[in-house]
This record gives sequence, C-alpha cells and structure tokens, in this order.
Amino acid sequence: MAEELTLRVITPERIVADTPASSVRMPALDGDMGVYPKHAAMVAALKPGVLRYKEAGVETVMFVAGGFAEVRDNTVRVLTSAGEAPEDIDEARAQEALDRARQRLAGSRVTDRGEPIDMIRAENALQRAVMRLSTRGLGGR
Amino acid sequence: MASVKELRLRIKSVGNIKQITRAMEMVSTTKLRRFQDRAVASRPYAEEIANLVQHLAGVLGDAALDQPLFQPGTGKKTAMLIVSSDRGLCGAYNSNLFQAMESWITTHCEEKGIEKTDVDFFVYGRKAKQYLGKRGFSIAQYITEPALESIDFAAAARVARTLVDAFTSGEYAEVKILYTAFESMVRFTPTFVDFLPVAPPAEGDADAGGDVILEPDAETIFGHLVPRYLETRIYNALLESLTSEYASRRFSMKNATDAATDMQKTLKGQYNRLRQENITKELLDIVGGAEAIK
Repeated sequence: MAEELTLRVITPERIVADTPASSVRMPALDGDMGVYPKHAAMVAALKPGVLRYKEAGVETVMFVAGGFAEVRDNTVRVLTSAGEAPEDIDEARAQEALDRARQRLAGSRVTDRGEPIDMIRAENALQRAVMRLSTRGLGGR
Repeated sequence: MASVKELRLRIKSVGNIKQITRAMEMVSTTKLRRFQDRAVASRPYAEEIANLVQHLAGVLGDAALDQPLFQPGTGKKTAMLIVSSDRGLCGAYNSNLFQAMESWITTHCEEKGIEKTDVDFFVYGRKAKQYLGKRGFSIAQYITEPALESIDFAAAARVARTLVDAFTSGEYAEVKILYTAFESMVRFTPTFVDFLPVAPPAEGDADAGGDVILEPDAETIFGHLVPRYLETRIYNALLESLTSEYASRRFSMKNATDAATDMQKTLKGQYNRLRQENITKELLDIVGGAEAIK
C-alpha cells in the first residue's frame, strides 16, 4: 500500500481538512462515488451530502454543502461552501432550517410580503438541512 | 497671545484627542489583521474555482460562451456595485473611491451614449449612499443586511445573486464592480472590474484539458460552477475593500496621533516660555517695588 490519496476540503472561509486517506466516498450529483488511489483525473459536481474517507481503517464522516470535487494526481480537492464534522453541526439551527424549508415548500407559493418563493432555493435548503441532520446522526456518541 | 491658562487647556485637549486617535489606530490594526487573514484564507477556494472555470471553458470551447451570463445583456443601462465604508475617519479612502467613480462615469457615459442616471448603483457602505444620494445618482439598492463589517461568504453569495438577477432581467448591458484593491499597507487603489457578462477566461493551458472525466458532464458542472465563481469574486472584492478601509484608517489615525504629539510639544514650549516670562516680570516688579521703598 504505497500509494495514498490526499484529501483537501476547501471552503471560502478556510481549509477544513487536509489529510491523507486510503479512500474517499462523496455525494456526486448522480449518486455516491468512491475514489481510490490512482483514480483517473476527474471533475465532479457534488450535491449536499455526506463525505466519507478512510484512513488506516478508520472511517470519518463530514457534511459537505454541495460543490465540486477535483481528482488529480492522487489528490482529491473538494470545493464546497461548507464542510462540517458531525460534532460541529448545529442541530437546532439545521432543524430550524428544515422546518422553514418544509413550510415554504408546503405552503402557498408566495411569502408574507407577496413575493414569489424561489422553489429551487427552498428545495436546496431542504436538502442541505436533511443531510446536515443525518450527518449529525452518523457522528453518534 | 494666549494666556497661560488657555495654553494649559489646549495642551490637555490635544492630549485627549491623541488618546482617542491612538485607541482607534490600535483597533484598526487588529481589525485589519482579521480581514487580511480572511482574505488570505479565501484564496485557495477562489483560485481552485477559477482554475476549474478556465479548465471547463477550455473543454466546452465556444459552447461555454453561448451561456446567457457570457453574452452582453440586452439592456442599455449599466449596473454597478460600489463598495465604500460605513464609517468615516479613514483618510482619503472614500473620496478616492468617489473621484475614481466620477471620472469613470463621465467617460463611460460618453462612450455608451447614455445618461449618468442610466447607471444604477448597488451600494454597499453608508458613505457611498450619502454621496450618491446627494448628487442625484440612481441608487437601485442600498445593501445593509448584513452590515459590511460582518459579511461572510453566504452574504457575498446573496449579493452575487442580486446582481445576476438584475443582469438576467434584461435591463442592463453590463454589471461592474468598483471596490478598493488592497495592494500593500499603504497602497489601496480604487479598482473597476467587469462582473457580467463573464469575460471569456484567458487561454487555458492545453495539457490541463484532454482526458479528464467529467461527472456528470461539462455543461452541468459549468452551470453549477459559474455562480460559485461569481460569488468568490464578490467575496474577494468585499474583503479587500474592508482590508483597505482599515489599513487606510490605521494610517490616518497614526498620522493624527503623530500630529497630536508634535502639537503637544509645540504647545508645551510656548507654555513654558510664557510661564517663565511671567515669573521674570513678577520678579522685576518685586525688585522694583523694594527699591522704591528704600
């Protein structure tokens, strides 16, 4: 096992993770995708979901809020607007966001001020909230 | 000529002002460092996104340029995001910005054959709002939420979306940004950048193209990528402006503190001279009086 991957999770605010990994699994638009060392160069779009990586047999999970993954020369760069470990996820806030998004999707198509609700945005928000909560659950403990 | 008492009061008030300017200088130094750190921290993300845009534009070729955000807008007007500061006491930071804006708008309007009121401003910072409002420029939106000081990436993304929506509404031919680029601790330059339509990226390096798997496909990724790219540009403009603002404030507060120190020294000299003169005068009076009694 000479070769290893380097996983870098980069957000606009900081670099969340920069770690060696033996494998990475990430939420591509069309479903989860695994990357092992010597993977061919690739650029993939990601949806909000759970990023998992294994290092020395230990699996670590992390929430990513969609974005992109670039695989090149055994380096996986994940560009996302947010990357959070389960213990860093603010459960109350995510639950709030979830309720808000549900309300928006269920209710009338306009806000109180009579502006149309952007359904795509509401749906994205819903997806993010659901994935945040389920990542939080994966952290267990 | 001021009296001894007046001089004493002035020395004291100069000292008070000096205390304040020094405190502001120190606050600015800390804040400056904070914004600078954030600007540095945002760089890897912005660079990677820009690389991907360039790369995919290379893969897509001319197809990339067919996207609506790459085409000049259908409208006649120009939209501009201007980033100033909320507070004053930051030297020439805002006036430099407005000066650059004034000279730009004159040539721009001549070139395009439009009126000055055909340039709609999206304003960040209270100072710009005051300036533009007083002079009859057209303000499309004054962005206050969140305050400039507490911007984060999500806020920058919202601004980007506002601008993109304005552009796609078909009212504008182009969208520009005017912000203050931070070049060094003592150099900040008002800078114009083209925001929309997205400029065709410079020639991508040839070897980066070729055998890269694109998941699901180039168009989809590109469609997701361009908005992120625009967000990073706004975020960067905001952070750099804030850094410049605090660098400028620190600089002018330092000058004010130094000037106060000088003034204190001069006043102290005057005060001492006057005091000694008075003592001499009084002594002469006493000696003269004693002579007369003899």
